Amino acid sequence: MLTNFIVALVERILNTSLKLDSTLIDKLEPVSHKRLLIDIRDWQQQFLLVFTEQHLHLYSTNEKQFDCMISGDIDTLIALKNPAMLTQLIRQDKLDLQGDLNIAQGFSNAFSAMDIDWPEHFSRYLGDAPAQQLWQIMQNAKRQGLVTDKKVAATLTQLCQDELKVTIHPLELDQFKQQTRQLKGQVAQLEQRINQLLQLH
Amino acid sequence: MNENQEKTTHFGYKTVAETEKASMVADVFHSVAAKYDVMNDLMSFGIHRLWKRQTIASSGVRKGHHVLDLAGGTGDLTAKFSQLVGDTGQVVLGDINSSMLKVGREKLHNLGLVSNIDYVQMNAEALPFPDNSFDLITIAFGLRNVTDKDKALRSMYRILKPGGRLLVLEFSKPEHEVLSKAYDFYSFNLLPKMGELVANDSESYKYLAESIRMHPDQDTLKSMMEDAGFEQTTYQNLTGGIVALHRGFKY
Repeated sequence: MLTNFIVALVERILNTSLKLDSTLIDKLEPVSHKRLLIDIRDWQQQFLLVFTEQHLHLYSTNEKQFDCMISGDIDTLIALKNPAMLTQLIRQDKLDLQGDLNIAQGFSNAFSAMDIDWPEHFSRYLGDAPAQQLWQIMQNAKRQGLVTDKKVAATLTQLCQDELKVTIHPLELDQFKQQTRQLKGQVAQLEQRINQLLQLH
Repeated sequence: MNENQEKTTHFGYKTVAETEKASMVADVFHSVAAKYDVMNDLMSFGIHRLWKRQTIASSGVRKGHHVLDLAGGTGDLTAKFSQLVGDTGQVVLGDINSSMLKVGREKLHNLGLVSNIDYVQMNAEALPFPDNSFDLITIAFGLRNVTDKDKALRSMYRILKPGGRLLVLEFSKPEHEVLSKAYDFYSFNLLPKMGELVANDSESYKYLAESIRMHPDQDTLKSMMEDAGFEQTTYQNLTGGIVALHRGFKY
């Protein structure tokens, strides 16, 4: 139920974004009523995204009916913000794609081209000049925040990896994940083999 | 055996003549229709919206589908289905109660959903549709009010298309003893009082609590669906089994 609650919140945010950027509805029109199933492997969760005329519908589901399915780790799926990465990620076996590729690209293109005119929306409540000023302050704060965030993250990473030695390097983690996947595959093979042997006897 | 002896059924904890139950249930819903949505939010703390979301997520509904939202009441599921089936599909909002249908129709009209929804007053035991008419039938919080549930399930099976599915969202039996006791306390002590305060009707909400306890548990309902002909029948407990979503297919 918690997943359902979070998904409902995300759906509401998505639908609010449709209202804030009116061009988004036109951009999503080519994928109208197409079912995009997003399988997030490391979360072991599947989400169904459908756009219908004026609304986006997002559900957590186990249904296997889709027009297009993308499956990958969360980091890989976030990298899809850049539509040009799609082919590269498939080649690297980080992304599995089934069905009509145009649907995934359609959603990706629409959201990456999303451009909400925040000063315009703020101006309804504040007036033009204060809205523009508020927007500039927010942009500056965001830039400052990103710089600070990068610095803190780099310092913390160095501290945890090199000084305190409480975490492992990302490369070691990737290697571990790869080995775990290999092991999973080998166990599945072994299980299949044992089942075959059991059937023979 | 006395031929005049009437068959009986449950109306909450009371035993009543089968012929009387439908009108007694109708009275309950005539009484609560106006405040139905407010009370649903209040009584379930809004969780009924998540239960209904799960139903839609499990529906497999898509553009062009024909959907029957049985006992659809104020049209929560119909509103979503109407958007998902698009202009080439159709949703029928069915309810035995004219007051509920009226509230549902007004609500959906206000949402601008008019083009692909039909409103039909109907009895779930004798559905007025040809065989193999629908891709999906849902009945959310309605089956426990039906007098002859087996007959209703057979009727639903008849009008489903091969490959179609039935989803039954209904109160059920909590999985854990502690939850069950807390739920009983809430249902029999707080719920009627809330009904009295908000809808000025404690009896209807007492009936609600009692009818939930008299409704078949998860496994019994699953067997009933199988007896009616449904295949690949499964259920999913929601909120610790307070509600269960049963799913069955017709092949």
